[in-house]
Amino acid sequence: MNGFKKYAKRLLGLSLAACTALTMSVTAFAEEPYESYSYDFWDEAIPSQVGYTVDTTISGREMELSRLSDPEDPLFYSEDASASLSEARDFDVFEDSEIWIADTGNSRILVLDSTYRIKARYYGVTGTSKLEDVEQSEDGKTSMFKEPYGLKVTTSPVTGKKTVYIADYSNSRVVRAYVASDTELVLEQEYTKPEEKLYTSKTFNPSKVQVDFAENVYVVVKSVNNGAVQFKSDGSFTGFYGANRVQVTAKVIAQKLWRKIASNEQIAGMSRTVPVEYANFDMDDEGFIYTVTEVKTDTDAVKKMNPAGYNVWDNAAGDDYTFGDNTAAQYDMTTKKSHSTKLTDIAVDKNGIINILDFETGRVFQYDRLANLICIFGTNNATADQRGSFSSPNAVETKGEKILVLEGSKTRNDITIFRMTVFGENLHKAFEYYDEGLYLEAAPYWEEITKRDGGYTYAHVGLGKADLKNGNYKEAMERFKIAHTRKNYDKAFEYYRDQWLQDHFTIIAVIVIALFVVWLVFKIIKVSRARTYKLKHKN
Amino acid sequence: MDSMYDFSTLGWVRHVVFHPGEGFEDLRWKKQGSLKLSFVIVLMLFIAMVAQNRMVGYAYNTNTVKIFNVVPLIVQSVVYFATWVIGNWCICTLLDGEGTLKKICIFSAYALVPYIICTFIAVALSNVILLEESIWYYAFTYLGIGWSVVLMISAMKAVHQYTMPKTLISILLTLIAMLLILFLAILLLSLFQQVYVFVYTIYTEIEYRIRG
Repeated sequence: MNGFKKYAKRLLGLSLAACTALTMSVTAFAEEPYESYSYDFWDEAIPSQVGYTVDTTISGREMELSRLSDPEDPLFYSEDASASLSEARDFDVFEDSEIWIADTGNSRILVLDSTYRIKARYYGVTGTSKLEDVEQSEDGKTSMFKEPYGLKVTTSPVTGKKTVYIADYSNSRVVRAYVASDTELVLEQEYTKPEEKLYTSKTFNPSKVQVDFAENVYVVVKSVNNGAVQFKSDGSFTGFYGANRVQVTAKVIAQKLWRKIASNEQIAGMSRTVPVEYANFDMDDEGFIYTVTEVKTDTDAVKKMNPAGYNVWDNAAGDDYTFGDNTAAQYDMTTKKSHSTKLTDIAVDKNGIINILDFETGRVFQYDRLANLICIFGTNNATADQRGSFSSPNAVETKGEKILVLEGSKTRNDITIFRMTVFGENLHKAFEYYDEGLYLEAAPYWEEITKRDGGYTYAHVGLGKADLKNGNYKEAMERFKIAHTRKNYDKAFEYYRDQWLQDHFTIIAVIVIALFVVWLVFKIIKVSRARTYKLKHKN
Repeated sequence: MDSMYDFSTLGWVRHVVFHPGEGFEDLRWKKQGSLKLSFVIVLMLFIAMVAQNRMVGYAYNTNTVKIFNVVPLIVQSVVYFATWVIGNWCICTLLDGEGTLKKICIFSAYALVPYIICTFIAVALSNVILLEESIWYYAFTYLGIGWSVVLMISAMKAVHQYTMPKTLISILLTLIAMLLILFLAILLLSLFQQVYVFVYTIYTEIEYRIRG
C-alpha cells in the first residue's frame, strides 16, 4: 500500500511537471514590455489594450551602414566611417518613404529608403559658409556639418526641388540645401545669428528647425526663451514666434512681491523667472505649428499655434486640454516617486493625429485632432535592452500608419517601428468618423473596441451618440452614464423626456382633467354642506 | 379660543413651520413639542443628505460616484446637530437663556423641517428636469436653507426669550463653541488613540515576557 502511494505521488509529480513544461512552451510569445492604460473621467489611470506594438527595430546593421566604409560602394565616405548611429537627435520622414536622420554624434545626415536601408549620406554641403570657423573639406568645396541637431525635409514651393533644412548646432547656423545626388547637398542659404538688438543672446545654437508654406524658417535655439527665431527665406531675421509664458506658481508670486520692496542691488542678485524654450515642434497640413515644451507643469506644455503665434489650445481661454501623464496618478510603488513628464517631441500625421513623446517615461501619447487621448504606448528602461523600451528617446515621427521612435542614448542608437494592433486600427477608424460627426459610421468600430476594452470611455460616448442619432434615447442615457459625461446625458434625457411626454400625452391629459374634476366636486360638496349647515342653524 | 391651538404633534410642526414669527412662541407657551419626533427629524435629515448624494438626477450629480462613504454624512447631520444643541445650551446657560437642553433640541429639530422637505423635493425634481432648468432645483435648495435659517433664529429667540440682537450674538457664539467642541473632540480622540497604543504596547511586552 505504502509503495503504491509513493508510486502514485511520483507519477502525479511527473505529470504536473510535464504539464507545466508544456504550458511554458505554448505561452512563449512576445509581449509588449509596457503596460497599456488610459485615463478615466477622474484622471485616474485605468488599464487598457495596446494600440501599438513593436514591429521591428532598425540599428546601423539593418541600415547597412558598413557600406559607408566600403571603397567599392558608391556611398563610400572613408575607411573609418562609423557603422552605427551616435546620439542621433532628430529625424524626419519625407513623403512617407524616405527617413532622414540627423546623426548628431557622427556629424552627418543619413537617408534611409522605405525598406529602412541606407540610400544616401551627407557629411556637408557643397559651397562655402559665410561663417569663418566652419570647417571646409580638404578639397575646399564642401562645408562640413558639426553636430547637426535637427532637420526638416520639404519640396520647395519656389524651385520645386527636394530641399533640406539642417540645424547645424555647433556651427551656429541653419543650412538650406537642395538634394543634388545621394552624396551631395548644394548650399542655397545660410541662416546665422541675427545681428540685431532684438536678439539678445550671445550664442546661436539651433537645435530644431521648421519651415512653413511661405518658406519662413522657424528655429528653436538653445537658451533663447522668447520663442522660435523666425527668418525670411532670404536669411533676414524677422522676429520671435510664439513665446511660452511663465507658469504662475507660489514662488513666482513671492518673487514678484520681493521685487517691489527690494533695492536695486538686491534685485540684481535675484534669479529671474523666465519661460522655458520649446523642445520641438511640428506643422500639420493646415499650417498650424504644434510645439512641445519640457516643463513639469501644465502651462504651454503643448501648444497649437496659428501663423500669428496665437495658441489655439489655451486653457486660460476656458478650455481644458491636458497632455501627457497625470503625474499624481503614476505613482511608482517600487521607486517611491511619481513620474515627471518631459514632453520632448511631437509629430502630427496627415489625418491630424498627434503623437507626443515623453522623454522621461519613454511613452508615446497619441491624441486625435481634438486632443482626445487615443492611446499610450512605449516605456522607459534604464538599459533600453527590450524592444519597445527606451532610455533616451529623442524624436518621434509617423510614416504612413507606423510610428517611429528614435532612440539616441550612448549605448543604443536605433529606430523602433511601432505598428497598429487590431485594437489600434479600430480606434483610428472610430475616431476618424467620430471627429467628422459620422457617429453611425463610427459605431461598429466602437463596438469592436468595447469587445476588447469595456472601460474605454470614448467608445461609450461614441456609441451613445450613435444611439442618440438612431432615436434610442434610453440606451444613449445608459451609455453616457457609463462614460460619465453629464452634458451628453442631459441631451439624451431631454429627447427621452420629450418622447415620453408625447407618447403618454393622452393619459396625462386624462389624469389632469380627472383630478381637476374631483377637486371641483369636493369643493362644490363642501360649499353646499356649509350652506345647509348655516341654513339649519338660522332656523 | 383655546381650541385654536389644540394641535396634534405633527400639527404643531406644521404650525411652527408656517408661522415663523409666532410659531415657536406658541409652542413654548403651550409647553408642546416631542423629543421623540425631534430625533426622527434628525434621522430624516440624515436620510435627506444620503438621498441628495445618491438619488439626485444623474446630470446634477457632482459627487464622485465611484465611491460612497456614509461616515461624512453622519457627521454632517447627526454629529453637527448634537454639537449645535450642546454648544447652544452651554452658551445660553451663561447668557441667561431660558431654554433647557431638551427644549433646545426640540426647537432646533423643528426648525430643520423645511430644509429636509425642500431637499427631498429638489432631489425628486432633479430626476425630471434638464440642466437648462436647473433654476428650479437651486430654487428649492436655497428656499429650504433660507427658510430653515429664519426658523432657527426664531426658534432660538423663542426658546431663550431673547431680543433679536442677543439671539444673533448667541448664534454666532454657538458656532464658535461648535468649532471648539469639535476641535476638542478630535484632540481627545487622538489622545485616546495614543493611550490605547501605549497600553497595547505594554500588554504585548508583558505577554512576551511571560511566554519567555
